[in-house]
Amino acid sequence: MRSYNEEMKYLEKMTPYCWKINKGFVDNMKVDGYFYVNERLEKLMFDELKQSCNSKGFGGFLPGMKQIANVAALPGIVSKSIGLPDVHSGYGFAIGNLAAFDMSDPKAVVSPGGVGFDINCGVRLLRTNLCEQDVLPVKEQLAQCLFDHIPVGVGSKGIIPMHAQNLEEALEMGMDWSLREGYAWAEDKEHCEEYGRMLQADPSRVSSRAKKRGLPQLGTLGAGNHYAEIQVVDEIFDEYAAKKMGIEFPGQVCVMIHCGSRGLGHQVATDALVAMEKAMKRDKIDVNDRQLACAHINSTEGQDYLKSMASAANYAWVNRSSMTFLARQAFAKMFKSTPDDLDMHVIYDVSHNIAKVEEHFVDGRQKTLLVHRKGSTRAFPPHHPLIPVDYQLTGQPVLIGGTMGTCSYVLTGTEHGMTETFGTTCHGAGRALSRAKSRRNLDYTTVLASLEEKGISIRVASPKLVMEEAPESYKNVTDVVDTCHAAGISKKCVKLRPVAVIKG
Amino acid sequence: MGGETKGKLFCFLLRVTLPDVSYELSWIQRPPRTSAVFANTIFQKPTFLFHVPLVVLKSVQAKMFRRKLLALDYAQPDNFNVNNAAELGPLVVWLEDQKIRHMKIEDRAALRDTAGPEWSSAFQRYLTELNCPYADGKKEVVVDWLLGYAVRLEYGDDAETFKSVTRATVDQAKRPGAPSSNPLDNLDFESAELKAGVTSLSMLLQVPPHPDHLEQLKAISLLISNTLSKEALQNASTSGDPTKDSEHIPLNKTELGFEAGDYILNDAAKIVRLLHLKELRDLQSKINVAIVAVQAVTADPKTDSRLGKVGR
Repeated sequence: MRSYNEEMKYLEKMTPYCWKINKGFVDNMKVDGYFYVNERLEKLMFDELKQSCNSKGFGGFLPGMKQIANVAALPGIVSKSIGLPDVHSGYGFAIGNLAAFDMSDPKAVVSPGGVGFDINCGVRLLRTNLCEQDVLPVKEQLAQCLFDHIPVGVGSKGIIPMHAQNLEEALEMGMDWSLREGYAWAEDKEHCEEYGRMLQADPSRVSSRAKKRGLPQLGTLGAGNHYAEIQVVDEIFDEYAAKKMGIEFPGQVCVMIHCGSRGLGHQVATDALVAMEKAMKRDKIDVNDRQLACAHINSTEGQDYLKSMASAANYAWVNRSSMTFLARQAFAKMFKSTPDDLDMHVIYDVSHNIAKVEEHFVDGRQKTLLVHRKGSTRAFPPHHPLIPVDYQLTGQPVLIGGTMGTCSYVLTGTEHGMTETFGTTCHGAGRALSRAKSRRNLDYTTVLASLEEKGISIRVASPKLVMEEAPESYKNVTDVVDTCHAAGISKKCVKLRPVAVIKG
Repeated sequence: MGGETKGKLFCFLLRVTLPDVSYELSWIQRPPRTSAVFANTIFQKPTFLFHVPLVVLKSVQAKMFRRKLLALDYAQPDNFNVNNAAELGPLVVWLEDQKIRHMKIEDRAALRDTAGPEWSSAFQRYLTELNCPYADGKKEVVVDWLLGYAVRLEYGDDAETFKSVTRATVDQAKRPGAPSSNPLDNLDFESAELKAGVTSLSMLLQVPPHPDHLEQLKAISLLISNTLSKEALQNASTSGDPTKDSEHIPLNKTELGFEAGDYILNDAAKIVRLLHLKELRDLQSKINVAIVAVQAVTADPKTDSRLGKVGR
């Protein structure tokens, strides 16, 4: 066990916003690690490392830096293992970690830990043509109306009638299912990452247990850090890009939905981890951390996981589309209008827990890579063929959900990000305190009172858990976003602040 | 419409309409003819019009196929060799997919597998189903009958139009310098008068000059159809909000994404990019229209608030 000062010898500050983790920081590192921070976030990261050194590795989580380095030791990793500014410890991979594996390397792996348990957790932003003054007088009723339409919390059930056959189709078709059934608008599809459907999905690879968990939960938000927020535009940094997204003026009302694949995705990940542990013994794959269970991409286990993950991703898009439908209904009812007249278009829909096959240039050569993004968001630059035509000149919109009661951001992808971080940026605030610690240190009544003070209406299914999601438990989202902006891996476009929140 | 057909129709439309899905469709299979039954009963026996005596057929075989293949718009009408399995199979599949359309799309699988060992028996079954009188005859005869059958079906589809086609009308269409009723066809494109007209038009519309006056005319035509046509004017007036002007961004503020060498090339590349984007936007809008059209048939969103349950 090395001391903190010995550990520091492996760390090198490359730019004011980027640190390098040299090989040797943990065993078997095949590439270097990198992480992006500013001064304040840097302190959090190094405190975490110091604490772990002092406690000699007993108790608590592995620090984020160690996790980034452990990922750099996985077989087939390309170029570097990257931590984004919101990085914090997670299962196997840190949340806010990004790693790409070479599809042409037979030893390269896919790891469920690199995607996370909430497969295709993501954020969707809807715009409206309302302004703050329209909403403020009715915001309590509006929050209640949304709460009535979108069931939240552990064990909640959705109001869209589904049976087993519908679910099979939804898993295969993703957002195309929502379109076919009329829950989504044609324009929604073009403004969704991957057009809302992963073509390699194969519902037969999803266990019946997972389907059973997923069936009643479709169209529900779930618990944890998921939420639906009514937000207003606080500041516009890039007027042209904002205009392309239909954001015209400060005070414009938007709706942000943050959710994922619920119990279905969780079960898919759990099933895959069990299968892969066996495969690792068979194929003799060595990893530094037992949580980094993985399988060769072309093995049966690897392919099964990718197909079931794609199905879970499709489920998440159907879920977000269903909630979009419900939110549009709630607004239409409240303002006695139609969603069309309220101009409730989807600005964009991003996934921040997913693995995708993409083309990237590595050392001047084009390569097909399996990019794992866990707690990190794709941020493709202008002119990339996979982003919608409307954003070809601005770059892909990146939606960064803040924490309850703080602000959120819309960023755009940059060419620099494409070369530095495989076209990837941060995903949110990133936890600073563990859930247990938040529960011990904070009181839910003060958390709710401070929200009220800020003039934010809140509807919550389990108030006793809100301190887990209190702003104090998280890193400052503005720090995170500013770091990404300063490092050039994405560009600030719009800042939003909440006026009403509903959550689990 | 049943759930299954509904689903298939939708998947199909999405696959053929979406730019991000590159499906290799050499041609699209067409569904069975609704008139297939009719064609079968009426034309059970080959009619005299298209039936060719065997002797003649042998001598002019290659030419024979060529005429019928041409009539059917087959891609390679020349030198069709009936004894080459690699040519015969695809032709039969093409005929069924495009012209004869006797079977349902999903039932065509066996016939489509032209390289498989089962193909010739599938082909025989197919001929029996079509009531081919020469089903066990020579290949030449069978193929000739099949082509003739396809021609008959095509003719039957649009008999009224074909009726008016005579040798005279065909010849006239073929002759290059034939007098046409369209006055534009009789224009002298090299006359000084036309050139002067193009120049004054381009001055009027502020189109930059081009050494070739015909190219310039093309540019003028594009400009008029894009901005001055009835539809364009209508679009402009409906979406004509005053903020529209601010959406114009100067060329030097757009990013090209790569370096072309010098600034003139860069600007040209940017313009090409913008034109490409405009086309993409048009395509995406057409896709959306297609999706909406399908939704008119399939969409039926429901909610049932009794199912809802708020968690803890």
